[in-house]
Amino acid sequence: MNLSDEQVLAMAPDESSRKSGKDLANPAKWVSKGVSEIALWGECQGSGSKPYQTQIDTGNMAFKCSCPSRKFPCKHGLGLLLLYARQRASFPEEAPPAWVSEWLAKRAEKEEKKATTAAAPDKQADSAAAQAKRQQARMQKVSDGTHELLRWMKDLVRNGIMDMPEKDPSFFENMIRRMVDAQAPGLAAMMRELADISYFHDGWQSIFINQLTRIYLVIQGYQHLDQLPSGLQQDIRSLTGFPVSQEELKEQTGITDTWQVLGKQTTEEDRLVVERYWLYGVNTQRRALILQFFVRGQSTLANTLTPGSSIQAELVYYPSAAPLRALIKQQMTVPANHSFTGQANWQEVVAAQTETSSVLPVYNDQVYTIAHLTPVWHQEQWWLQDNQQQLMPVKKTFQHIWKLLALSGGEPLHMAVTGKETQYEPIGVWHEQEYKIL
Amino acid sequence: MEHWNQLINTALLGTAKKPADSQGLNGPLQEAAHTILNNQTDKEEQFLQLAALIYNFRQSGTQPVTAVVEPIAVCPPETRLYCAPAAVRVLQQALETESIQLLELWLEYCTKANLLLPPAQLPVMLDKGWRNKSLRTLVATAGGQRAEWLGRFNPDWNFSRVVDTIEDRWQNGATAQRLEALKELRATDPAMARSWLQQSWPKESATVKAELLTALEKPADPNDIEWLESLLNEKSKQVKETAQRLLKKLPGSTLHEKYWQIVAGAIQIDEYGQVTVALPEITDESIFQSGIDKLSHDKTVSDETHILYQLISAIHPARWEEHFNRNTERVIALFQQQEGLKPFIPALVLAIATFEDRERAETFMHHSEEFYIDVIPMLPPDQQQQFSEKFFDEHPESIIQYACDNPEEWSLSLCTRIFKYAATQPYTYNQQFMNNHIRQIPVSIAGVLDSIVPTEAYHTGYWNNIKVHLGRLLQAKSQINAVAFQLKNGSTF
Repeated sequence: MNLSDEQVLAMAPDESSRKSGKDLANPAKWVSKGVSEIALWGECQGSGSKPYQTQIDTGNMAFKCSCPSRKFPCKHGLGLLLLYARQRASFPEEAPPAWVSEWLAKRAEKEEKKATTAAAPDKQADSAAAQAKRQQARMQKVSDGTHELLRWMKDLVRNGIMDMPEKDPSFFENMIRRMVDAQAPGLAAMMRELADISYFHDGWQSIFINQLTRIYLVIQGYQHLDQLPSGLQQDIRSLTGFPVSQEELKEQTGITDTWQVLGKQTTEEDRLVVERYWLYGVNTQRRALILQFFVRGQSTLANTLTPGSSIQAELVYYPSAAPLRALIKQQMTVPANHSFTGQANWQEVVAAQTETSSVLPVYNDQVYTIAHLTPVWHQEQWWLQDNQQQLMPVKKTFQHIWKLLALSGGEPLHMAVTGKETQYEPIGVWHEQEYKIL
Repeated sequence: MEHWNQLINTALLGTAKKPADSQGLNGPLQEAAHTILNNQTDKEEQFLQLAALIYNFRQSGTQPVTAVVEPIAVCPPETRLYCAPAAVRVLQQALETESIQLLELWLEYCTKANLLLPPAQLPVMLDKGWRNKSLRTLVATAGGQRAEWLGRFNPDWNFSRVVDTIEDRWQNGATAQRLEALKELRATDPAMARSWLQQSWPKESATVKAELLTALEKPADPNDIEWLESLLNEKSKQVKETAQRLLKKLPGSTLHEKYWQIVAGAIQIDEYGQVTVALPEITDESIFQSGIDKLSHDKTVSDETHILYQLISAIHPARWEEHFNRNTERVIALFQQQEGLKPFIPALVLAIATFEDRERAETFMHHSEEFYIDVIPMLPPDQQQQFSEKFFDEHPESIIQYACDNPEEWSLSLCTRIFKYAATQPYTYNQQFMNNHIRQIPVSIAGVLDSIVPTEAYHTGYWNNIKVHLGRLLQAKSQINAVAFQLKNGSTF
């Protein structure tokens, strides 16, 4: 396990954990510590009489700590890992103490149990008929909701959107609540994006119509669901807000590969934190998006992905016309794989997008690994120029342009970017044969 | 994109006023638009369908921009090696503490080892350099070609130039690098340093002039007087003030001589060795304009005494030896014995300190029964710490001030005394104070920190926070020292 400070800190669930984790990366805080092939552990003197017992399963990058924090990983886990990253030599290599080996054994046992349970048929399963009835009722509710939303949109279009910046927040809120009532949380989320547009910035009109059109497409898709190909049906159902059973997904055979964790993007809305991990399969050359949700301050995620690292994992894609979102069935941290494969230039990227768009018109940001991109300054903004001298703009909100420029030095770099159409954000680069997150 | 913009115009006005149309559309797009517009649906549905059509047309046909862009100049290759990842991790720790002194320490080791900052660290370090002038030369040296290259895109960072020889630094460096070069030359060849500055003087801006002029401060050179006095006619107030400050420290300058004339007239010794002190009326207003206060702030001190006190503290102590025709020891004795001169002993001490007269400082200490705190910086380092500890309880704040001004690392015992006092004043000696003086704080103090507690209970929480922060600083410092030690022993930094 060879992690950089940046990689460890990227695992933090929030800024305060990051700060506290840094404070705890101090040998004076740790009463004892040790490392074995599969685990890292330490006892941290907190405010209580007994030190907190912090342990990390380094194979699966799983954390456990006896502290009362509900964050995950907690500051002790982060501090311990950061200390290990900085001062590896100060960790004696030894057999794990009982409290660590017991936890590791329990984890192994749990995994085994899970595998057995998955193999066994679900005794508690509802009768198929009852399930279908419930499903039918919900479909009707959602359908009613989409009709109402469409009426609302048409009113908007009829009267014009000129006065949108002056609208009271309740203008959107009422319809968002209505979509929640109609059991269409996906449409509610799309409406929330519409409400959250910054109406005081130039160009809001285009963003607004863009989002309105997407909502319209989803509504139309839903109202004509049976006429759509099965993959797209699944996308429309997900976008409307029908959940996909993770348990059922896990029963499917996934794609096993060495996956590079290209980056992580975190957004937060109403205390709900959304973590997007972008993965790239070294052998299959497939891209994947792992989404994790948690309420701020109460992260209870099972596993943590480290941006810039690699995992050997079996991934199952959510059903889609253009599968991207996936879940990890099982994973194991492996030495970071720094190999690069990807698109040769922007033309290949837009060709891939055209293909995606043809099967999934309402697709979201994608991840691409693109060869030989150079940051250039042109018309008062930064662009990424490929080896065909073609350009794509860098998102104006991109924060790491100087780091990107420093690594590039004017030379082209292989880059991992997220985005779509004409807005891209680099998340990492291959620099001196190593993948580095930005 | 034009189609899309037309659609937005329709949306702004609303379909009630302006129904969607196929204007401007052509080819298959026009065909599809006609199909939509011919549908027996309402105008709003037609608009939304048209929007969906153009949306898909746009996103399916996105193309990168083909434009002639002036190629970005490639950064020249580095000739030095980058520092090792372990050293970068230590740098991260130093960055987290937000102590500029620790960054300075790290950068000094990095530049001494002739190594470079890795590119990924440059933006954050260049930003630190932009905010803290003291780091600029070091960041520029450790930043190499890449830092200079980045400076071309970010004007805040253009203090970073790759320069090798002292002359190159002076000719082509950024201001901080030029000042450093000038100071270096001044230490070995004061006349040449002055001549460099004189040559470039007309080309410099007022701010740069004032900054570069400070290089002449050490060592003081009487040959600067003529030129410095000519600078008193400069337009810039900043330049004039700097020149005057330098002139005050040069015996022989017009201002110093004016001061002396007044003092020599006011303090006379008769043939029996009796000293009389009587300040004549000062009609020359330039004396007061140069910073001498007319009025005393202390009721027990007359205005005349106050003026004389200030003048004596601004006159080179050697003048008294000529004036009284006595050697240093006897001059000191005269000040100590003569009633009229006694109030001016602290002024004499201040003069010794101002003119950095180490020889007379030592003589003074040998012949004085009283301890004068202002002499401390003039003493050899071992004596400074010894006296600081000895008289700490009498003058804690002044001694802390001198200890802070002295770049030497404090002894453990002096540091303990300072921290015991700091614990009683945690709002003054706060985290920022620790950040600013961590170079002087010995790492070994970590072992005794727990025993240092404030006298007032309500200070405990605040002081404890300071201690936690100090712990982080000390840890980072010890890590930097460890990396430097490895470097000394042949490992890479």
